[in-house]
Amino acid sequence: MIGKVLVANRGEIALRIIRACRELGVRSVAVYSTADRDSLHHELADESVCIGPPPAASSYLNVPAIISAAELTGADAIHPGYGFLAENARFAEICERVGLRFVGPASDTIARMGDKAEAREAAAEAGVPVTPGSDGPCESVDEVKRVGAEIGYPLVVKASAGGGGKGMRVVETEAKVEAAYLGASREAGANFGDGSVYVEKYLERLRHVEIQVLADSYGETVTFPERDCSVQRRYQKLIEESPAPDLPEDAREGLMAASEDLIGSLGYEGAGTVEFVYADGEFYFIEMNTRLQVEHPVTEMISGVDIVAEQLKVVSGERLEIPEEALYPDGHAIEFRINAEDPGRNFLPQAGLVEVYNPPGGPGVRVDSHLYAGYRVPPHYDSLLAKLIVHARDREASIRRGLRALDEFAISGMETTLPLHLAVLEDEEFRRGGVATRFLADRELESEGGLLRLVQHLS
Amino acid sequence: MPETDENRPLPLREVEQLVELLRESGVGEIRVRRGETEISVSARPEVPATPAGNQAAVPEVSEPEASPEMDGLHAVRSPVVGTFYRAPAPGEDTYVEVGDTVSAGQTLCIVEAMKLMNEIVADVSGEVVEVLAENAGGVEYDQPLFYLRPDEQ
Repeated sequence: MIGKVLVANRGEIALRIIRACRELGVRSVAVYSTADRDSLHHELADESVCIGPPPAASSYLNVPAIISAAELTGADAIHPGYGFLAENARFAEICERVGLRFVGPASDTIARMGDKAEAREAAAEAGVPVTPGSDGPCESVDEVKRVGAEIGYPLVVKASAGGGGKGMRVVETEAKVEAAYLGASREAGANFGDGSVYVEKYLERLRHVEIQVLADSYGETVTFPERDCSVQRRYQKLIEESPAPDLPEDAREGLMAASEDLIGSLGYEGAGTVEFVYADGEFYFIEMNTRLQVEHPVTEMISGVDIVAEQLKVVSGERLEIPEEALYPDGHAIEFRINAEDPGRNFLPQAGLVEVYNPPGGPGVRVDSHLYAGYRVPPHYDSLLAKLIVHARDREASIRRGLRALDEFAISGMETTLPLHLAVLEDEEFRRGGVATRFLADRELESEGGLLRLVQHLS
Repeated sequence: MPETDENRPLPLREVEQLVELLRESGVGEIRVRRGETEISVSARPEVPATPAGNQAAVPEVSEPEASPEMDGLHAVRSPVVGTFYRAPAPGEDTYVEVGDTVSAGQTLCIVEAMKLMNEIVADVSGEVVEVLAENAGGVEYDQPLFYLRPDEQ
């Protein structure tokens, strides 16, 4: 086992990694910005190094400062957590060059999966289903119509360089192709300086499902039962659960086999997640995240596997030892992301002093958080305050446990997404299970007697 | 949004009344709502929040070991994480010693980060009172390296 790990992150995930190190007898080094002098990761690590001023670009994204901190403290490996440098291929490459082990796959794997088109190609090559559509960019209106005739309508025209819904048009019929193609291309050109667009089948009621994977340097791969992360707001996941409600067994097996094929073909090492959309019994590859994810505890709860500890074993050159029964879901787990955002005011970010902090306890409850009473949430970083994970024998029992735990959870000093989660758990469609990613977009938040309630649009 | 709402003039008179009410009542925030219009007025905290972009103001807030600075001493801090060297090269003379008088802009030491030698200069003129870091040891960002007693102006 490696001797010392530098944790290149902050907040709850830095604590999560430090805890895994402690349990394995590995020494940990925290790095922190001047805005995080009072943070728990700085307090709980064996050593810590201040790496820069508050802006992330000068601290948690400051590669020379982080590499220097690793050299000064004699760390053997760097764990990037999620966000910041976790999917930065150049950073992974620098680690490789200076003889530091990067906790994650090889830098060229990160680079390959980081490119949307290349990842899609890699998936297709490995025999993983990708959303039907054009092979690369479409050069003309006629080409879009040709693809449309093949895959059927509705379809969606998307900017190759795009993101955030810009340069994107849904096309219902062939008659509307011309206007959509020209509009999307113009918008893509204006926004990204690249007007090229491609075409995909439009999936209306889709769910987001993903497969957690682990692989060691001996070619051993493990795929876990899926997580369903369909409760999202503006592409940000809010609630994740495992297993996915009402997913047919053959779909589960298909997802796990496809993920295994992909990581096998990549020669993948470490932890990762293969993301899919699932609609009408079919699933299609979206992307692969080559890192630990926020929602990894959901899988840990139903499998009993410590994913961070496994990452550290893999980077130490040890073999994965996952018991067979870990690959079958034990009960049901749900994670709620408690963010410093005010759901009553369009999710306005909050910062400031945490006056009261009383996390829930009792059976089947796990809280991963860096908060304490008296902690000041700095305004410089992301808004995740805590992750509440509940685990029970089935979905219904976990929902009841979730309601109980959310109700116990007290954070004062700022508004949080706690009331939103309670509202989701009271929603009839959510309770039935299997909601689509537009679940929240289809609803309004209404305040009723101090509680929030979700009301579905009439359309 | 209904067009009528967009065209309606901003209810500045009402905002003014709310500000007045906020002042008199001493509460932190008042929010009122009528139809589509919501007005929220909140008091600025007594201690101004850390101004955005002014990084220098941040560390001073919780600096427990700042007492020498209260005695009129000025700390020269490391701008990078790296290794602290008091001389330009091994075997050569140190840049400065305690008791030396330095002028603003004069090199005090080197902090090496990723094979890059960063010369750290005095930002004020004065006397070197204390060297706070050990030669060839590691230093953090913002760590005090020297105390200077600034010249009286």
